Amino acid sequence: MNVLIVEDEKGLALEVDEFLSHEGFTVEHARTKKSAEEKIFVNNYDFILLDLGLPDGDGFDLLKMLKGLEKRDDAVIILTARGAVDDRVMGLEQGADDYLAKPFSLSELLARMHAITRRKHRLESNDINIKGLRVNIQNRTVMYNDERINLTKKEFEIFNYLVLNKNRVISRTNLTEHVWGDVLEINSDSNFVDVHVKNLRKKLSQYIPIDWFETVRSIGYRINI
Amino acid sequence: MKLQVKLALYNTLTKVAIILFTGLLILLSIEKISYNHIEVRLEEKKEATLRSLSSREINSFLAAQKVYTDYNILKEEFITITPVKYEANTPSKVTFSTETRKVERNMETYRILSNRFNFNEHTYLLEIGETIESVEELKSIIKKFTLLVLFIALVLTLISDLVFTKFLLAPFYKIIDRKLIKVNDPMNFDYEKIQTTTQDFELLDDSISSLMKKISNLFILEKQFIANVSHELLTPISIISSRLENILLHEELSEGSENKMHASLKTLNRLKSIINSLLLISKVENNQFDKGDMVMIAGVIKEIHEELEDRIDEKHLTFTNHLKYIYSIQGNRPLMHTLLFNIINNSIKYNTTKGSITISDDLNDDIYAITIADTGIGMEQKQIDNAFNRFEKFDTDEKESYGLGLAIVKSITAFHNINIKINSVKNKGTAVKLIFDNQV
Repeated sequence: MNVLIVEDEKGLALEVDEFLSHEGFTVEHARTKKSAEEKIFVNNYDFILLDLGLPDGDGFDLLKMLKGLEKRDDAVIILTARGAVDDRVMGLEQGADDYLAKPFSLSELLARMHAITRRKHRLESNDINIKGLRVNIQNRTVMYNDERINLTKKEFEIFNYLVLNKNRVISRTNLTEHVWGDVLEINSDSNFVDVHVKNLRKKLSQYIPIDWFETVRSIGYRINI
Repeated sequence: MKLQVKLALYNTLTKVAIILFTGLLILLSIEKISYNHIEVRLEEKKEATLRSLSSREINSFLAAQKVYTDYNILKEEFITITPVKYEANTPSKVTFSTETRKVERNMETYRILSNRFNFNEHTYLLEIGETIESVEELKSIIKKFTLLVLFIALVLTLISDLVFTKFLLAPFYKIIDRKLIKVNDPMNFDYEKIQTTTQDFELLDDSISSLMKKISNLFILEKQFIANVSHELLTPISIISSRLENILLHEELSEGSENKMHASLKTLNRLKSIINSLLLISKVENNQFDKGDMVMIAGVIKEIHEELEDRIDEKHLTFTNHLKYIYSIQGNRPLMHTLLFNIINNSIKYNTTKGSITISDDLNDDIYAITIADTGIGMEQKQIDNAFNRFEKFDTDEKESYGLGLAIVKSITAFHNINIKINSVKNKGTAVKLIFDNQV
């Protein structure tokens, strides 16, 4: 899948590029509105990661232009440090698929991209298989041999996020932010997550052994498969 | 006292003074003029009397050294000639006086002319009197009239002044009301001029408008500054955190380095939280949030309870929801959520294990109030006073406290015109009361 990063901050673009390339994406990079326009005209992208504050104009204009083009299905994720509620609402109203406020974590970005992919392509198998557990993102369920494991909303969110970022250590902070949102709750204490994970583990272990669900001491968790 | 009343009183006082003065002046001059007339007449009569001294009638009295008295029927005037001790060189001096005399059982006030004169080797005292009752009457009429005029003038000027100054000051109060009292946001200032022909008020209006323009320019500048700072700070944080995450992808990393990377990410996250919190406070204080939602308080509380259930269970707290009313306010739902979340979260955070949290509400005179009470560690008065200051934090086991939670609470309550009161007893617990008066 190919990704266009529209971001004037070279450092950030390079990091996102490195991360996504590592994940198997083909990445292109545009630093100005003008060069982004040219690239969008010429190529179809699976994802456009769009910064709103560009040196030669507003990212919203690019979004409008893209939506004006026919037969385009590029998913747009707005990445901005402006963080104003208005921007968020306006971005989504104008057809962006998601919105991430800077600073965001790369694993969060990846999780969002996966979610969009599944939504867009309506994959035949919406399920991710983890050691016999079937995670269905659409229905937000986890099944084991046709038996539904009864998870709370938050437990599912945590499990889903770890599954999407499997084989990577996900820190408590990162998990907290994913589950609780990053905007307003500054008192998000990390041991929130521990309680949920403890319950989640208890529920899963009733079905299968979960030695792959690792606790990385003092950091966070990893699903290691 | 209102300017209007002051002006009216001042006008009334000056008018009273003028009328009193003129009344007094008229009174005095009338007395003077009529006395003058009387005296002229008395003078003439004296001349006539002295000329008729040799008349037989008077002469017989004088010869007998008796007192001669004559008066008319109504006793309006009298003449007496009294013999006195002989003095060879009596100066013919005329004096006037006002005295009360008894003439045949009647007491009357007279203007009296007295004159000593020598006649036939004798000295006599001549007194001619004329009653001044008519003058006194005139004086009393004038007094009454003056009083009446005074009273009427008083009432009339008071009323007319009040009405007129009210009319005159109407634009002034309009300016105060529209340009100062009703303005709580310089961004939505009404620059339309108030209609007035009074130059002073025009000046006031213009001055307020130009002041507001300056303030709103500063506001815009501050907003831009905050937006810029947020962008400028958050982007580098974003780069560093992405870089650290990428480094973590390299598997050859030693466990020690990996831990340090994660610790750095956590610190970065903390930095981000602080910036976001400060941004939130600034945005709230700059009124950059919409107040268009109808927020049902009980609903928000229920939501927060669900969100925090795990933490409540973890600390074995008893959570009691005593809400009796379904009360909604107009405001910003995410902000109200944050407000109540921060308060309830604090009551969990600063609670003791197996303590309790009680949420109750009441409605008095249409004023709704909600109280969140806990059995936590409580605060001393000094701590309460400082509780809303930024970066103020208390001893807590929780590591991730930035001391901004209550500062956010304060800005959100101010934004929604909510009155917040903290009652706390050290080691007993804290009760936070939100009073929803002044709801617009």
